[in-house]
Amino acid sequence: MNPPAGPATPHRGGATVEFQHVTKRYGPVTAGPGAVNDLSLQVPAGKICVLVGPSGCGKTTSLKMVNRLIEPTGGRILIDGADVAAEEPTALRRRIGYVIQQVGLFPHQTIGENVATVPRLLGWAPARQRERTDELLALVGLEPGLHRDRYPYQLSGGERQRIGVARALAADPPVMLMDEPFGAVDPIVRERLQNEFLRLQKGLAKTILFVTHDIDEAIKMGDLVAVMHSGGTLARFGTPSEILADPASDFVARFVGADRGLKRLSLTRVRDVPLAPALTAQPGDDAADARSRVAADPFGHLLLVDALDHPIGWLDPRKLPTSGTLETSMAVPMSPLLEPETTLKDALSMLLDADVQAGIAVDPEGRVLGLLTVDTIAGLLNRR
Amino acid sequence: MSGWDWIASHLTDIAAATRDHVVLTIIAVGVGFAISFALALLIHRDRRAYAPVTAVAGLLYTIPSLALFAILVPITGLSVLTAEIGLVSYTLLILVRNIVAGLDAVPPEAREAAAGMGYSALGRLLRVELPLALPVIVAGLRIATVTTIGLVMVTALIGEGGLGQLMLRGFTLQNYTAVYVGTALSVALAVAADLLFLGALRLATPWRRARER
Repeated sequence: MNPPAGPATPHRGGATVEFQHVTKRYGPVTAGPGAVNDLSLQVPAGKICVLVGPSGCGKTTSLKMVNRLIEPTGGRILIDGADVAAEEPTALRRRIGYVIQQVGLFPHQTIGENVATVPRLLGWAPARQRERTDELLALVGLEPGLHRDRYPYQLSGGERQRIGVARALAADPPVMLMDEPFGAVDPIVRERLQNEFLRLQKGLAKTILFVTHDIDEAIKMGDLVAVMHSGGTLARFGTPSEILADPASDFVARFVGADRGLKRLSLTRVRDVPLAPALTAQPGDDAADARSRVAADPFGHLLLVDALDHPIGWLDPRKLPTSGTLETSMAVPMSPLLEPETTLKDALSMLLDADVQAGIAVDPEGRVLGLLTVDTIAGLLNRR
Repeated sequence: MSGWDWIASHLTDIAAATRDHVVLTIIAVGVGFAISFALALLIHRDRRAYAPVTAVAGLLYTIPSLALFAILVPITGLSVLTAEIGLVSYTLLILVRNIVAGLDAVPPEAREAAAGMGYSALGRLLRVELPLALPVIVAGLRIATVTTIGLVMVTALIGEGGLGQLMLRGFTLQNYTAVYVGTALSVALAVAADLLFLGALRLATPWRRARER
């Protein structure tokens, strides 16, 4: 994906969004599903705030009150300090991006027309609409020439979701509302869309309110997570690591799950933790010398690498010849290769799958950075 | 005089009858559509209007056409107005039902996305809901038009009737050529109207045409 560029995206970054004692009741007495009870929270500009909770907890209602698809019973919602209730709803909605689970592309319009919806409503000149459309298609990883004139049903589910995001970004809104935007695709595509979107958001820095019922998605996508309770109350609001480290209530602890220690691992990446130095040798090195080096090493394993420091395989110290030189053929299959961006949760899973004690961390060029051991990960789990 | 000679010597009459038939049909379907469209929008805004509107339209639909004209003639005379009141009445039930069904068939997520992106209510209706409802609306127009082309025949009894006049005179004068010509042309009109609507729908909905491939 290309970074957004050009005069069509003049201002990046988001606006603050603030809920002040927002309440929505659907009946005079009972709260009912979808109700919201005295919700107050502040999302700083450029952050993703995930609203998560069981169904009927009012997360979608909260989202729809921001662009006034639903009007609150009480309280205020401010965008950059301005009350949304003071603005004409259609004008307000045109400067807030909106993505829904079923995407809601207009089946009778081409992809290009779909993406240009808000620019068209805002009365942009056709040439500018077209330029912006092509820019956005490229941004979400779809070739403009190939997709612009096609119809929504001609796309895969993942492509439709991307178009949904592109359409919401069209007029460069400072705030985006996303209601389970990746909910309608299979897990593999969802994972890819999540990663793409996070990469995109790094350049765009929109303020995003993101609704999901999936705590794993909340932890992955959110700078901030608001856990909501049935009845529309805010149970916990904080960063993912704060919430995982201290759920603060039984409800939140149960909701984030018994594996919250493991989930914490998904917040930390290989580049964030100290790696054990790898004991390495190259083919052609003296075998006796290698044996003595291994004997002195606490980990007791020797990694064979090539001249460029790319790992070849492990050498079993007991099977090393007493004389002569090291050969490539002596190396046994490798531990998993871990990249700096790999989460510790994924790393641990790979180590357990491969039934080894250590993974080899490599840089993007494939050179050995060091070793990540199961002990290191266990140590991190025990801390805090 | 052979049948072909009769046709050859009455081309002007046949053309005039055909033209009258087409005009009566267009007025009936046009006015019927305008009324039905307004009623359907009312129902779209407020569902409670559905039952009473379709009840009245249904009642009109069940009145036998001859009986309806018998009621109207003392009031509006043997006139085009009388014929059209009857013809329009018979289109309402089909058209109202189809327009409402078409609007109901608009995917709710498309409607929600349109609202969420800042379409006004009118803009959403014109740009999103009606284009998506078009196939079902046109299906209604096809049925209403073909039905009307048949019913126009009956209005011959009150002095209108287009091709119906031709047939009525044929029966009276035992000129079966005129009867056959009237029958053939009315069938041809119905088929032509149907194909015209189908063709127009295909042109207006390239997004559906592409789907068929």
